[in-house]
Amino acid sequence: MICEACQENEATVHITTGSGLNKTERYLCEACANKSFSNQFASFPDDSFDIHQLLQSLSAQQSAEASRKQKRRCDTCGSTIETILKRGKFGCADCYDTFSSKSSEIITKVQLYQTQHVGKVPEKSSAYIKVKKQIESLREELAGLVERQEFEEAAVVRDRIKSLEAGDDDGKS
Amino acid sequence: MTMGKVSPWITEAKETPVEMSSRIRLARNVRDLPFPCMLKDEGMSEVIEKLNAALTDLRQVHLDEMKFEDKALLVEKHLISPLFTKRGRLSYISDDESVSIMVNEEDHVRIQVMGAGDSLDELYKRASALDDRLEEKLNYAFDDKYGFLTACPTNVGTGLRASVMLHLPGLSLGNRIQRIANNLNRFGFTLRGIYGEGSVPLGHIYQLSNQLTLGRTEEEIINSLNELKMRIIEEEDEMRSIMNDDHLLKAKDSIFRSYGTLKYAHTISLKEAANHLSNVKLGVDLKLLPEYTIRFQEQIQLIQPAFIKMRLNTLEKEYASLEGAVDEERATLLRELIGGTS
Repeated sequence: MICEACQENEATVHITTGSGLNKTERYLCEACANKSFSNQFASFPDDSFDIHQLLQSLSAQQSAEASRKQKRRCDTCGSTIETILKRGKFGCADCYDTFSSKSSEIITKVQLYQTQHVGKVPEKSSAYIKVKKQIESLREELAGLVERQEFEEAAVVRDRIKSLEAGDDDGKS
Repeated sequence: MTMGKVSPWITEAKETPVEMSSRIRLARNVRDLPFPCMLKDEGMSEVIEKLNAALTDLRQVHLDEMKFEDKALLVEKHLISPLFTKRGRLSYISDDESVSIMVNEEDHVRIQVMGAGDSLDELYKRASALDDRLEEKLNYAFDDKYGFLTACPTNVGTGLRASVMLHLPGLSLGNRIQRIANNLNRFGFTLRGIYGEGSVPLGHIYQLSNQLTLGRTEEEIINSLNELKMRIIEEEDEMRSIMNDDHLLKAKDSIFRSYGTLKYAHTISLKEAANHLSNVKLGVDLKLLPEYTIRFQEQIQLIQPAFIKMRLNTLEKEYASLEGAVDEERATLLRELIGGTS
C-alpha cells in the first residue's frame, strides 16, 4: 500500500484517531507518521500571547489609509506597513524608525502604554548610538556653517566628523 | 546529550511541591540585517561564524541534519520551539541542557536558561553573562527609546521573558485559575496552561510569565514575578488545606484511584496519564502516600509522545497503529515507574 500523505513511499504505519463515528484511519509511511506527531506538541512557553488579532484590526484601518497614500517601503528590508501588520512582525530594526509613528502606536498598545526602555544597556551598541547621534548633529552644524560661508569653522567640523567616522569604522570589526 | 533521557538539570533537581522549573529568555538581533522572517539562513553566515567563536563551550546542534522525531524530543525538553522544528537549522545547547541558544528563530538570537531550584535572579545572571559574551562579537540592534529591537513588538525593550512552571491542582480543580489569570493580566503578567489546548491543561501544570518587556528593568520584572509566584503558591496551599481538612475522603479516593490506574493500566493516553500523575504528585505533597516518592517533572516529560516513540524505537517492535503502540508503551513505562513492575 502507498502512503496516503505523500503518495510515494510504502505505507508501513497504520494510525487511528478518535473512536466510534469520529474514528479515522490512515496508512502512512514512517516519515509522514512522524510528522503527524507535530500537532501533539505542548505549547512552547514562549508564545506568551497572540497579538495577531490586535495587529489585524490595525491592518484593516491601515488599508483604507494606504489607498489614499503612496506605499512606503523600508530601505533595509523592503517591508511596507501592510506587510508588517499582516505578519505581526517588523522586518528589520530600521522598520521601527522608518514607520516611526505607526511603530510607536503599536508599541504603546502591546506594551500597555510603556514607551521608554529602562533596562539593560549593551555597552558597545550604546556607544555606537552615541557616536551616530554626534555625527548627525555635527552634519547639521556643518550644513549651517557652509550656508553662512563660514568655511574655516566648517573645515574643523568636517574633520571632526571624519575622525568620528574613522573611529566608528574601527569599532565595527 | 542523550536523546531519550530527561535533561540532567531536571534529574539533578530536588523534588518540591507546586514550583517546578524556571526559565529566562532573552531576544536579541543584529543591526543592519533583516530579521529572520525576511532573511534566509545564508544571510546569517557571518553572524554564525561569530557565534561559533563565542560559544565554544556549547554543543552545536544542526537541526537540518536531524530526523523529525529527534527534533520533536528537543521541543518536549523545551530546548527549541515548535516553530524551530520547521525552519530552525542551528542551535547551541549546554551539556546539562539548561542553556540553549536558537539562531534565526523569530529573532536572530534567542538565549534561554532553565533551572529547577535556581532562582530567576540566578538564571538571569547566567543569561545576561552569556548575552555580554555575544555582544562582544556582535553588533546588537538597540535603540535609546525602545531598547533591544525585536521582530515582534511584544518583546522590545528588555527582550526578557521570565517564567515559572507551577503545579496547581488545587486552584485548577477549585476553578480559581481564571480569576487569578484575569488579575495578573492587569499587571502585565499571564498564567496559562503549558500543555494541551483545553480549558484544564494537562496535569494541571501552568506557567506564570511576564507579558510586558518595556518600561521596566529586568530586576523589576523578575521581582514582580517572584512576588506574584509566592501569592499564587499561598493560594494553592490554601486550597490544598481545604482539600485535606474538608474533603479528605474524596481527595484520598481520587489520589488512590490514580495511583492504582498508573500501577496497573495496560494502555493509557497522554491526557489521562498526566492527570493521574498530577493526582499522585498531589497525594505525595499532601502526605497521603507516605511510602511513595515521585519525580513529577521528570515523569511528565517521559510520557510525552516523542519520548515514548524513542522507547519504541529501541524495542524494534512491530505495531499496527503508532498511536496504539505509544499508549501501550506509555502504560508499560508507568507501571515500571509507579509500581515497580512491568
